[in-house]
Amino acid sequence: MPAIQSRSKSVNPTTRLLAGLGVISAAVALFSLYSLRQVDGLRALQLDAIDRNRRDSLQLLRIQNNLQNLALSMRDMTEGGSPYPLAAYRTEFDRARVDLQDALEQERRLAPAARSIQQQSFLSDSLQSFWDAMDGMFAAADAGDEPEAKRLIRQVLQPRHASISTTVARLLISNNEAEQEAALEIERIYDNVERNTYYFMAAVFAAIFLTGGYMVSRNRRVFGEIAQLSEERQQLAGRLITVQEDLFESVARELHDEFGQALTAAGAMLTRLERKSTHAPEELREVRSVTHEALEGVRRLSQRLHPNVLDDYGLEGAIEWHARQIRDQSGLAIDYRPPAEPLPPIDREVAIHIYRIFQEALSNVVKHSQAGAATVRLESHGDRLLLEIADAGAGFPAEPAAARGLGLVAMRERAQLIHGALAIEQPPAGGTVVRLEAPIMGTKT
Amino acid sequence: MRISRRDLLLAVPALAGAASAPGFQLRDVTTAAGLRFRHNSGAFGEKLLPETMGAGCAFLDFDRDGWMDILLVNGMDWPGHKRTRTTLALYRNNGDGTFTDVTRKAGLDVEMCGLGVAVGDYDNDGFPDLLITCLGQNRLFRNLGDGRFQDVTEKSGLGRRESFSTSALWFDSTGDGLLDLFVCNYVRWSPEIDVRCSVDGKRKSYCTPEAYRGETCWLFRNRGDGTFEDATAKAGLFDTSSKSLGAALLDLNGDGRLDLFVANDTQPNKLYRNRGNGSFEEIALTAGVAFSEDGKARAGMGVDVADYDRSGRESIAVTNFNNEMLALFRGDGKGGFTDVAPSSEIGRITRGSLGFGCVFADFDLDGWQDLLVVNGHIDDIAAEADAGSGYPQPPHLLLNKAGRGFQEAGVDVGSAFGQPRVGRGLATADFDLDGDVDVLMTENAGPAKLFRNEQSAGRRAIRFELQGVQSNRDAIGARVVVESGGSRQSQRVHTGSSYLSQSELPLTFGMDRAERADRVVVEWPSGRVEEFARLPAGRRHRLVEGKGVVESLPFKG
Repeated sequence: MPAIQSRSKSVNPTTRLLAGLGVISAAVALFSLYSLRQVDGLRALQLDAIDRNRRDSLQLLRIQNNLQNLALSMRDMTEGGSPYPLAAYRTEFDRARVDLQDALEQERRLAPAARSIQQQSFLSDSLQSFWDAMDGMFAAADAGDEPEAKRLIRQVLQPRHASISTTVARLLISNNEAEQEAALEIERIYDNVERNTYYFMAAVFAAIFLTGGYMVSRNRRVFGEIAQLSEERQQLAGRLITVQEDLFESVARELHDEFGQALTAAGAMLTRLERKSTHAPEELREVRSVTHEALEGVRRLSQRLHPNVLDDYGLEGAIEWHARQIRDQSGLAIDYRPPAEPLPPIDREVAIHIYRIFQEALSNVVKHSQAGAATVRLESHGDRLLLEIADAGAGFPAEPAAARGLGLVAMRERAQLIHGALAIEQPPAGGTVVRLEAPIMGTKT
Repeated sequence: MRISRRDLLLAVPALAGAASAPGFQLRDVTTAAGLRFRHNSGAFGEKLLPETMGAGCAFLDFDRDGWMDILLVNGMDWPGHKRTRTTLALYRNNGDGTFTDVTRKAGLDVEMCGLGVAVGDYDNDGFPDLLITCLGQNRLFRNLGDGRFQDVTEKSGLGRRESFSTSALWFDSTGDGLLDLFVCNYVRWSPEIDVRCSVDGKRKSYCTPEAYRGETCWLFRNRGDGTFEDATAKAGLFDTSSKSLGAALLDLNGDGRLDLFVANDTQPNKLYRNRGNGSFEEIALTAGVAFSEDGKARAGMGVDVADYDRSGRESIAVTNFNNEMLALFRGDGKGGFTDVAPSSEIGRITRGSLGFGCVFADFDLDGWQDLLVVNGHIDDIAAEADAGSGYPQPPHLLLNKAGRGFQEAGVDVGSAFGQPRVGRGLATADFDLDGDVDVLMTENAGPAKLFRNEQSAGRRAIRFELQGVQSNRDAIGARVVVESGGSRQSQRVHTGSSYLSQSELPLTFGMDRAERADRVVVEWPSGRVEEFARLPAGRRHRLVEGKGVVESLPFKG
């Protein structure tokens, strides 16, 4: 098969497939690396920027809450109505002071890097001056000078308190803004990742599509080549068989026409010669006998090369005749079951193929089955013909198909040539069944 | 007989119940006793904050006949929404299981927006006086001794102090033998500044107190002449951030001076250590009782203190909001506490409940103090939103398993008792003098319920009624230690505790099978310590400071 070899050698698809796989794997690896980098970026942004910012804001809110409580206490202290002396509020201020100092300390640790030192120190300095004023106010209150204490609240503590509150509010706003910026940045990263995911998906799909497409086209070509080869082989087999049949037929005709006629003539002459001479020598009779045997041999050979019986009696008659011949020659008991109705006319060449298949099958029974009997059934079902040769013998030998010779191969080729189906079965009960099913109107391709 | 799987399944709870039968029942005797009280919250649809607070109840022997009488605090209709006249109710114990409403005769049929009650003999005349806390002006009623009370609010110097007072308690803060008055205040609220809160965005709900400013608690010092002076600031108790609902007495370090625990709603709890010079130091944070174990200020409502683990040290139970679980601060005796609820079955049992009144008492008389908690949501709509919660909620009766944890027995002691209620107030006393602890509870805008303790396990008890001489006459703050069979338990005569309510002053000790207390030690508030040997169980002993056992009567029935 030089044609197939030359085609196979032309392209090796494995290399290209491996290349496609490599491209896809590389794309996945690259995209995974990219995704991990983006996730790291997001984590950093969330932990370092947003979480820290939020915790800072919580401390600022804690400061604001304390300042609010102080504002309410100062309002209670200055607006009257409370039965308690101003000095009684000292515990509340002290508690707020402890909590404020702690909140301020924690806030300083969490403060965003962007905050200036001036901003930071302004807050702590303002609070310190507030505490100083508070100490002064409570000193006055302890001394019983409530009007002075109230004046200090109104003129010193409350304005300082307002200034600190404003600062804290500003810091909260700037934290909020920073958080919004970080949120935008996160949004941007998400957008990028989303877009790149689409690109990645498109690229991977393209790679898979190309590799897959390449594989499909490769397969189609291979299947095409196989189909073509099969066709070529079938045509070749058909032609070989046809050539063989033609050759056999011409040889058979030659044998029949030339040697047959000659031997018949020689036989007739020898008979006449014998009749004329009353004392014909023994040698003459022997010569006539040899001539007769030669004539019979030529006829048998001619019949085997080309079954003229087919032309004379049709397929049905030929099969019956051949079965009889085999029975007579080999002693095989053949149960022939002819069709219920006569077969319609069958194309001559189709008939030859069917007949040859039958000959081969029956010959196999005789040669290999070791069976004493066989059944031959010929049936027609509408436009289809069924020929079945069954024996109860040993079945097929377990040797590989190649070792069984060309008989079976030729049977299959012939069946294919007439668009028929050949089945060789070995029923569980034993023996072999050869079944040919073919269209009666089948024509030679 | 063929036993199906169903039979087995049905038998399991019965067997389990039999295995740990509580040995007593709490039978609803409200109707039989003649209690026909129903709380008027004043609610008319506007959902004003005070309407959901409920009202307290108290056991007191106002006529000194030896039988515990019942006082039930009541609210009233809001001005402009007047439908009916409601007053607090005083029910006199007839001694036969029934009570008679003597409110009018006692001069207590006064309309007020009442919340809590504290009973104490502030003038040491032997007759218990009443402080009723209110939205607005609190009222002090002096017991005249002839079955009548006199409103001495103005005369005593407690007048012209309008607030939103809740629980209150009487105790001798200075050791002068006179009862001083501690009053919890909740928030600064008036109908005009009522905030509209909503859990579903549509209907108004009762707000939690975050919406309002806190208010300082008050300490009024008894001058001994029938008047009081405001010692809040002087004593260091001035604190306008607190939103207090419950208060309890305890002695943190065994120095004989009474300290104060205050349960705050959404604010850190306060623990005031008595310095002994008339001033207090706030140490809740360092003592570990200010916040929950996860550092959260919870919705503290009711509180009680007891030596429940018989360690000789007092522990503190605080009821909280649903999903916050009850706090059981176990004392280490050195002033530190650990909340053991989250790590024990207490937390699991109480997590879904919104608790109010709570009382430690030995209900099954096994010698270990149990914990009773009444529950109920603050708002029907909010209860809907809280999946798994309910507006009325069943009480928790947590029986002390001899120091090895607690076991819920709320439904085992009577089906009526285990019913869900919008519980608020809770008080205990042996109202039928049969030697066990009976239960009185109130429901917001619902009936008050009296449950009689009926013992079936044959356990014994011993009761002590203390009368101070050098100490305050009520002996409030006195600690009694009972030793029997090698075990030792202690209780303290106290006012306050629970939520808006007050239990009887006499102490009931469960003795299980013991026939006597081998040794009884009384630590009087004055510092005097008295010891008694081999006091028989099954009796109530009246002890007078310096005179010993002056009377010993067997239990009734």
